[in-house]
Amino acid sequence: MSAAASTYDVIIVGAGLGGGIAAGVLAEAGQRVLLLERGRDLRYRDIPGDHLRHHRLSLYGDNTTHEPAGHPRVFVDPQGRRRTVLPHEADYHNNALTVGGGARIWGMQAWRFHPDDFRMATRYGTPAGSSLADWPITYADLAPFYARAESEIGVAGDHRATDYAPRERAFPLPPVPATPTGAWLARGAATLGWKTFSPPLAVNTEPYLGRAACVQCRQCIGFACPTDARNGSHNTLLPRALATGRCTLITRAHVARVLTDAAGRVHGVEYFAPTTPESAQIESRKAYAPTVILAGGAIETARLLLLSASPQHPRGLGNHSDHVGRHLQGHYYPVVSGLLPTGFQNPNLGPGVSIATTQFNHGNPGVIGGAMLANDFVKLPIIFWRSHLPPDLPRWGLANKKAMRELYLRGIDLRGPVQEIPSPDSRVTLDPEVRDRFGLPVARLSGTTHPETLRTAEFIRARAEDWLRAAGAERVWSAPMDLRLSAAQHQAGTARLAADPRDGVTDPFGRVHGHDNLWITDGSLHVTNGGFNPALTIMALAFRAAAKIAATR
Amino acid sequence: MTLTPPQLAALRALLDRLIPADEFPGALAAGTDTFILQLLTHACAAEAPALAQGLTQLNAEAIARHDHPFATLPSAAQDALISDLEHNRTTTAWPNPFPAAAFINRLIDLAAEGFYADPANGGNRDGASWRMIGYDPLLPARPSAR
Repeated sequence: MSAAASTYDVIIVGAGLGGGIAAGVLAEAGQRVLLLERGRDLRYRDIPGDHLRHHRLSLYGDNTTHEPAGHPRVFVDPQGRRRTVLPHEADYHNNALTVGGGARIWGMQAWRFHPDDFRMATRYGTPAGSSLADWPITYADLAPFYARAESEIGVAGDHRATDYAPRERAFPLPPVPATPTGAWLARGAATLGWKTFSPPLAVNTEPYLGRAACVQCRQCIGFACPTDARNGSHNTLLPRALATGRCTLITRAHVARVLTDAAGRVHGVEYFAPTTPESAQIESRKAYAPTVILAGGAIETARLLLLSASPQHPRGLGNHSDHVGRHLQGHYYPVVSGLLPTGFQNPNLGPGVSIATTQFNHGNPGVIGGAMLANDFVKLPIIFWRSHLPPDLPRWGLANKKAMRELYLRGIDLRGPVQEIPSPDSRVTLDPEVRDRFGLPVARLSGTTHPETLRTAEFIRARAEDWLRAAGAERVWSAPMDLRLSAAQHQAGTARLAADPRDGVTDPFGRVHGHDNLWITDGSLHVTNGGFNPALTIMALAFRAAAKIAATR
Repeated sequence: MTLTPPQLAALRALLDRLIPADEFPGALAAGTDTFILQLLTHACAAEAPALAQGLTQLNAEAIARHDHPFATLPSAAQDALISDLEHNRTTTAWPNPFPAAAFINRLIDLAAEGFYADPANGGNRDGASWRMIGYDPLLPARPSAR
């Protein structure tokens, strides 16, 4: 790359949902964008349909991590034991490493947060030991950008029923079709007086934006979509960015640090990349721009801020009040399994998530917050065998084999993303010993969620059991949850929004306090993570920040 | 992974009891033994020596109880022995840190992983287990995704 080409209007680190959206908005606004992505631009055929190596069951690898060696993390368990972990291991808290990020293989649930999700401390108070806080913005601030994300990414939903948060317009796509299990669950919920509806999914229920509709295959979450009906930035805003001719995408690019000048002002990044796109030979490069946006996910964005310490920022960029890397959170997921009645005709079509309730997101007696509850995606046979057979069944022999064939199509489970009560001790730091292939300290994950999260999760688990029983499940079972670190694909919180620099890392738009040109557009910004899948909120914040950047230049 | 003939015989006999044939094919007909050997050669090579040692110990356990290696025992005796291993009820001394229950639980998992995962992994030949339970990924013959 020539020296002349290494100067841009904006550099974006990470081509997932937040980075891809920022690239699209800014390139279309006339800016010259450098988009750096550590993964490859994987095509459908590059993401194997391997049931043992995907993002819901990654026993021996996963289908989007093409360079597993050289990028470990360190995990410290609640007993203080530390160990090095690889990308496919649960304690790594991985997300898909590819252009498009997690949205290449996600479950597509595209929820707006509840208005009270932005004011948790006001509504519930802040429990001792937690860092529960209000967002510095309200639902109304984000609503226009939720609408923009729904329209430009493509979300299917039922706008009349999805009324827990005010909406200004219909979804651009009709809701996913009702399924027999969904109808059965709806009847059960009705007997309890609960309202249910078709959950919003970022999937083409009919052709949209030039791509085909979902064919309801049974190999959905965790895999690439065979008809490209699964929506994300990779098939919307990113192609739009590239079509302007003003966006340069470099894959297999690992950003080592954000560069600051002698005055401490951000002016570029240093990164490692192959000398040619498929080369094994790696070189160090620098690129410069008046604006830098970080969108590497809550773990790697925090790590990068910490790696970018300078004389003016000895504890890392944005770390003026010791919030960088703290409040790491994801979602606790209580899972309740059961059996549909004997003879139930289950066509078992994808995506599978077809009914939800927001009855228990707030206002639950004695606990803080709550969760949306929904049925689950089409279950792979090996996942059913591992996690959803009745617990008293023999694990081998003819009895097990017969149960697999008699019960597989009768399995049903409910789950919900419990809004976590954040802890400042659940955090990302730089490991003092383990280094990546470039010699940089790796992310170390330590701490656990706040114990209040567990109480809410147990409440939600009990409601999910109520629902399956009311519907007439032949058996219902579930397991209690334990206190642990939670992040994974829903990772959030490590660079929280705050009006006051003392309370967080970025201003209410996502600009890092103390810097006029360093921005973040990923889940790091979330003060709290809602009782919903967080992707649509990441997208809305990215649209909002990018519009602000485009307007202020 | 290379197993000795007695170890291989024990592995196959074990798989034949973990997922037996009935009116539908069992683990052996579906190639689950090949899946496990492949896995222990590549992704799980570090685990291979301990599992091989476990298979030798399985034969030792069978001989201590019945004077015959595991593969030649009647099915009922094989099943009883597997149940005992699950509860660490053993006659011979199983080596730490891989006691009998850990060994048999790992083999139970591996058998199911091979048998119920996608046929391309090698242990679910012709999708035998998927046909049995009524699963078909229903992927389009010609994907339209780029």
